[in-house]
Amino acid sequence: MGQPLDLFAAASAEGAWTVGEVTRRARAVVEAGLPPLWVRGEVSGLKVWQSGHWYFALRDKAAQLRCVMFARDNRRLPAAPAEGMQVFVFGRPTVWEEKGEFRLTVLELLSTEAGGLWKLALEQARAALARDGLLDPSRRRPLPRFPRRIAVVTSRDGAALRDIIAVIERRWPVTELVLVPVQVQGDGAEQDLCRALALLGRLEGVDVAIVGRGGGSKEDLWTFNSERVARAVAAAAVPVISAVGHETDVTLCDLVADARAPTPSAAAALATPDRAELLSHLGHLGHRLGRGLDARAARAVERLERTSDRLAAAVERRLERAGALLAACGASLDALSPLRVLARGYAVARDERGRVLKRVAQLPPGRGFRLRVSDGEVPARVAES
Amino acid sequence: MPPPPAEAPDFQRQLERLEEIVRRLEAEDLDLDEALKLFEEGVERLRAARERLAAAATKVKQIRLEDLER
Repeated sequence: MGQPLDLFAAASAEGAWTVGEVTRRARAVVEAGLPPLWVRGEVSGLKVWQSGHWYFALRDKAAQLRCVMFARDNRRLPAAPAEGMQVFVFGRPTVWEEKGEFRLTVLELLSTEAGGLWKLALEQARAALARDGLLDPSRRRPLPRFPRRIAVVTSRDGAALRDIIAVIERRWPVTELVLVPVQVQGDGAEQDLCRALALLGRLEGVDVAIVGRGGGSKEDLWTFNSERVARAVAAAAVPVISAVGHETDVTLCDLVADARAPTPSAAAALATPDRAELLSHLGHLGHRLGRGLDARAARAVERLERTSDRLAAAVERRLERAGALLAACGASLDALSPLRVLARGYAVARDERGRVLKRVAQLPPGRGFRLRVSDGEVPARVAES
Repeated sequence: MPPPPAEAPDFQRQLERLEEIVRRLEAEDLDLDEALKLFEEGVERLRAARERLAAAATKVKQIRLEDLER
């Protein structure tokens, strides 16, 4: 307060600084005097702008520091820090000239809490999925018993693909695999997975899909904890088996999928029936088929035998009746026989071919014929007139 | 894309029908004609199923996302 203010000097048009000049100067001083550094503090009032940039303050008991973390830097992080979260940030102190504001441009942000941002991101995504009912076990669709085509959404070069092919070769070589190669980690992985999952319905004959990758670090597996990817799994046109990492890794995709397998190999086994088992089942069915028919045929033969016994008895009775009828008929036939007439003294005249001669015209003078009498036949001739 | 390998008749339907035939042959008092017909159908389905399982090695086909999106 000691030095008197020279109002005239400060007010002269020539001597006055513009606002821009002052802030630019302040910025130069701050940037020269404060190199990039780590700061520890509590996150307060974080806002995510349309552009993806994060604006927040770091606080401790005594002071606060305005911070910005640009989208290009915060994109690597799984989630924005929560209000009150204790964090370490690495940033460059500067002056934001347009607002005349002292602030920290944050390049890196680490949570000091257990699990940190990863855990936070996972909890947030999980809560969002649960809110929409996507974690409800009743949503899970049954897997086809005999898949026709199996889509495999994974990296072209990973161990996961080799494992899946090996298991399917062994268990169910009858099927066809449709590989949809995607990036499973790093930039673009999330996008790739979502695209592939959305297109499953366009693959003709595909009735189940395996989505996953082999083991890796938490960061490597992170794509499968993305809420977007989990939603794409839930929306897939065919049942999805999720297989990410090793037994102990459980991701959001696992929770949303129709089935979860601890490893890609296990997913392949889950997707397919075992051919050897099925062949033995078929053998068993064939055996039962034969036995079933045998039993049925034995019953039929037995019935046939019973029937034929009854048939024979019926035929016999009928034959007896026919015999009696025949005897009766024989008696009356005998009475009508021409031999009986001859016995009474008649004779029958017949020509050489056996035709009966009944009229005078058939017996011209000199004609020879045969005469049948009761005990035999004699030759005869009509007398010449 | 060629038609999927197990398209017609669907393998599961095939197997289920076979299982049903065996059950009926074992349980029901069918007339012999019917039983013979079922047996013949069963044998045919069994043969078809075995043939289907005898198929060659797994085919792996690769699809590019760009092609699908077109």
